[in-house]
Amino acid sequence: MSQTAMQNRPVAETNTRFDVELRKVFKVFNGETVVRGIDLNIRQGEFFSILGPSGCGKTTTLRLIAGFEEPSAGEVLIRGRSMSGVPAYRRPVNTVFQSYALFGHLSVWENIAFGLRIKRQSKAEIQKRVQESLRLVKMEQFARRYPAQLSGGQQQRVALARALVNQPTVVLLDEPLGALDLKLRKEMQVELSTLHKNLGVTFVMVTHDQEEALSLSDRIAVMHDGKLEQIGTPNQIYDYPQTPFVADFIGDTNLFKGRIETTDYGMWQVRTERGLRILVKPTESLNGSMPNQVVVSVRPEKIQLSLEKPSSPINCFEGRLMHTMYLGTHVHYLVELLSGDRLTVLQPNRAKLAAEPDSPLYIYWAETDCLALTA
Amino acid sequence: MSTSTPTPSVVPKAKVSPRWQQKLGHLVGPLVLLGPPGVWLLLLLVIPTLLIFQLSLIPGIRPGQPMDGFGFGNYLNILQPIYLQVIWRSVFFALGSTVLTLLLGFPVAYWIALMAPKRWQNLLLVGFVLPLWTSSLLRAYAWITILRPTGVLNSFLSTFGLPTLDLLNRSSAVFIGMSYSFLPYMVLVLYASLEKLDKRLLEAAADLGASAPQTFWKVTVPQTLPGIAAGCLLVFIAGLGDFVVPELLGGASSMTVSRLIYNQFLGATRNWGLGSGLSMVLILAVSIAIALLIKYGDRDPESFS
Amino acid sequence: MNTRKPRFYPGRSPRIASTRRGFLQLSAAALSGAVLSNCARNLADVNSEEPAASSAASDGGTLHVYSWANYTDQELLDSFKAKTGVEVVVDTYDSNETMLAKMQAGGGSAYSIIFPSDYMVSEMIGLDMLTPLDKSRLVGLENLRSQWQDPVYDPGSAHSIAATWGTTGFIYNPANLGTTLTGWDYFWENGGSLDRKITLLNDVREVMGGVLHSLGYSYNSEDPAELEEAYNRLVELKPAIASFITNGWEDQVASGDLLVSMAYSVDAIALIEENPDLEYVIPETGSSLWTDTMVIPKSAPNLDAAYEWLNFLLVPENAASLVERLKFATPNKTAYEQLSAETKADTKLFPPQDLLDRCEGIAPVSEEATELYDQYWTQLTSS
Repeated sequence: MSQTAMQNRPVAETNTRFDVELRKVFKVFNGETVVRGIDLNIRQGEFFSILGPSGCGKTTTLRLIAGFEEPSAGEVLIRGRSMSGVPAYRRPVNTVFQSYALFGHLSVWENIAFGLRIKRQSKAEIQKRVQESLRLVKMEQFARRYPAQLSGGQQQRVALARALVNQPTVVLLDEPLGALDLKLRKEMQVELSTLHKNLGVTFVMVTHDQEEALSLSDRIAVMHDGKLEQIGTPNQIYDYPQTPFVADFIGDTNLFKGRIETTDYGMWQVRTERGLRILVKPTESLNGSMPNQVVVSVRPEKIQLSLEKPSSPINCFEGRLMHTMYLGTHVHYLVELLSGDRLTVLQPNRAKLAAEPDSPLYIYWAETDCLALTA
Repeated sequence: MSTSTPTPSVVPKAKVSPRWQQKLGHLVGPLVLLGPPGVWLLLLLVIPTLLIFQLSLIPGIRPGQPMDGFGFGNYLNILQPIYLQVIWRSVFFALGSTVLTLLLGFPVAYWIALMAPKRWQNLLLVGFVLPLWTSSLLRAYAWITILRPTGVLNSFLSTFGLPTLDLLNRSSAVFIGMSYSFLPYMVLVLYASLEKLDKRLLEAAADLGASAPQTFWKVTVPQTLPGIAAGCLLVFIAGLGDFVVPELLGGASSMTVSRLIYNQFLGATRNWGLGSGLSMVLILAVSIAIALLIKYGDRDPESFS
Repeated sequence: MNTRKPRFYPGRSPRIASTRRGFLQLSAAALSGAVLSNCARNLADVNSEEPAASSAASDGGTLHVYSWANYTDQELLDSFKAKTGVEVVVDTYDSNETMLAKMQAGGGSAYSIIFPSDYMVSEMIGLDMLTPLDKSRLVGLENLRSQWQDPVYDPGSAHSIAATWGTTGFIYNPANLGTTLTGWDYFWENGGSLDRKITLLNDVREVMGGVLHSLGYSYNSEDPAELEEAYNRLVELKPAIASFITNGWEDQVASGDLLVSMAYSVDAIALIEENPDLEYVIPETGSSLWTDTMVIPKSAPNLDAAYEWLNFLLVPENAASLVERLKFATPNKTAYEQLSAETKADTKLFPPQDLLDRCEGIAPVSEEATELYDQYWTQLTSS
């Protein structure tokens, strides 16, 4: 694969060509619907993650793209071509499997050369490309080893090289870092990101690790119960979750169920089930429509704590400190409001709050620091 | 050790005893566990084999003759063309049956292990192994009724206007009978190997562009090679020693080593010396095969190197 | 085991008889209870051994007999008990070697009467296992034909009394063969059309001897040139030979899969009883003659009853009625005379005297000759 050619390809979000398109895709196993009508467009050259808890159907979605499964309904397109009836071995995609699935009877070199040999490339071409791939994943000195003689991280690199050497349109990664320990995972995240940037090829990664998804991806699709909850950039997903599930699943949050009481000057006043009145600035996506039931989401780090009653009465509630947990850079507080709601609050470990357990305090946040989501 | 040798007086007895007891203490467990099977093996395997070996070194000894004389006459005797022909025929039968059972057994084992519904697998295996529960003699007789000129097979063929086959009392019948006898072993061994096969490897191969046949030859077969080797060696060993099938189905020109040995001890031409020599050759051949089986048969497919 | 018509396979020639049933008895160990109908015939007798010890209480009122499968029947035992008050328990064996091994191992100490074949009598005499018969306690010995008064296997009949005898010949279906078989020569004259259609006994002395005899030599020839000639004749015949088997040809002869099988007269006659289309023929040049006898082992616990048994069977009327029922040839001249005309006329059982004169018993040969026989046999069966 020519690296320069790859680098020349624009990775910008404005690129409207799609490498992978899923159209109303369903998958039913033994009467159980695992994937429920997914629509997805993955742009050329982007690092796209499908994020969700286990059992949400994300791996099945990946397998539908790879061709290991056929959709029960709907259609998968790769580079605009329908993949209906196209078997896995004819699809221009390559997969990095969850626990690598390296061929134990073949050396590292032969593992990587496998796909090229199948495609009957010339000896010189195979030699050149395998060598290039080995260099790409920094495994040149391990070419003669067998998979059983490699560490987990090394096997991971071989699996990557084995996929990349075929110059696929799309690289599919199924929990690629799941089997590695934390430190190695961090290292490999950086390398994955670098590889992606250098090659410019489309990566589709399945993961349950939100931090991994947030740090690596250009865009993320959050899946829940066989459906897509939200697609967006990491920033959009984190700061502007569109559903309570996304808000809850991505990072920590405090959720209040309630109904809209009044609307004033583009602000909503929400009365929660326990009687709190919260002022929320509606997000753009909710503009125009006004749902009856809403869930208000406040990130723990957006909440301020004070022993004194703050001057502004907006979104300010009295409570008492239940529990303090030092996280090093941050301090984690659990606060119970007079209403009985419990909130988590995250503060930088800067100015220590001189609060005793059970001592009364006030919490508050700006109306722009919380979101109203349709329940 | 001679009893007349005086015990060296420099070693005080009191100091030796505890250490000796300690050592014995460590040995008690293994001795209790390994003793009975050890005695069993000694009495029923080692000693008889040594007796056969001893007999094999007495040229041409026959029943009722004194056990004297020594030499390699029996082994030299085996080098006669007629015996070499018998040995070659045994190997030919065993090899042929091995190839046949592999060709027949692999698809079956593959289907049961990878394609049949999980809950049916055990039932299918049991069904396949069921013939093993009947006597090999009985199965050979059943094949006679099937293969003889007016037998079941030919009645069936002529019903459909097909030409009849004359298979009994020739090599073809031996191959049919032996492959049938040993097919369950082959299927069991291959199934065990295929069942352990990591299915994701097949997906990985497909993912890398390999069609089903390419995946089969480049991944499935190499990955199950230890199982294939084990199955083949097992069938080969069993085939080399098989007596019933060639005896009953092979006819007048199917003498094998095991039949020849039988003849030397209990059969038409009793010559214990020659029979023992032939037995030692067969034991050696089978031992080599088993050594190969142990070395290559039970390897984890992940541990290639 | 003997619910169907009992059969037996007595062994005949010296030192080789174990081939006959050895294989079956060996593999019978692996035999499961279910028996396919088509092989029941071949396997009918292999399980017939019962533990002698269980039925072997040596009280005065019981006689334990160890015999081939169909030399006795319930009627005989009942009439013996009516006459003597002695209860008879019969255990059966299927080869002389099985019987010998059991007796040598001490497992047959309950038996007072055994039925070894001719050569086995010689072997047991050599092993000092047989009680010399007290002729003063026996009545009717003079009724035996003269050749069994002083047989080669037991000079002077000192240890044994001949019980039954027979020949070795061919069984075939004349309709299938399309002609009447008269002897060995047919095979060489029609060798080309017999592709694997005949079987010969798995018995070196019977087969080699039969061919030797057909060439005008003795069954017991020790002449290397004669042996080589016989061997060459057999090599020529090889393509016609389906296999060398002593039993197991029955169904295939009946169905026509085999045209001719070499067989002992007892086996042949038993099959013809079931299938009258078949015929048994003794080669016109003559065949071998064999004898099964009754002896008293040294370990016999009940000598009195044993003598009563021998005397009972020496009574011509008793012997004759047994032969009528079980169809074997009796060496008892007086008993023969009392047989029905039909049985007497059965040339399968009692060949005409001129043919018998051309028959010959198989006798031990020298060690050198034995090696030659074995060498030729191995070459014949191994090629």
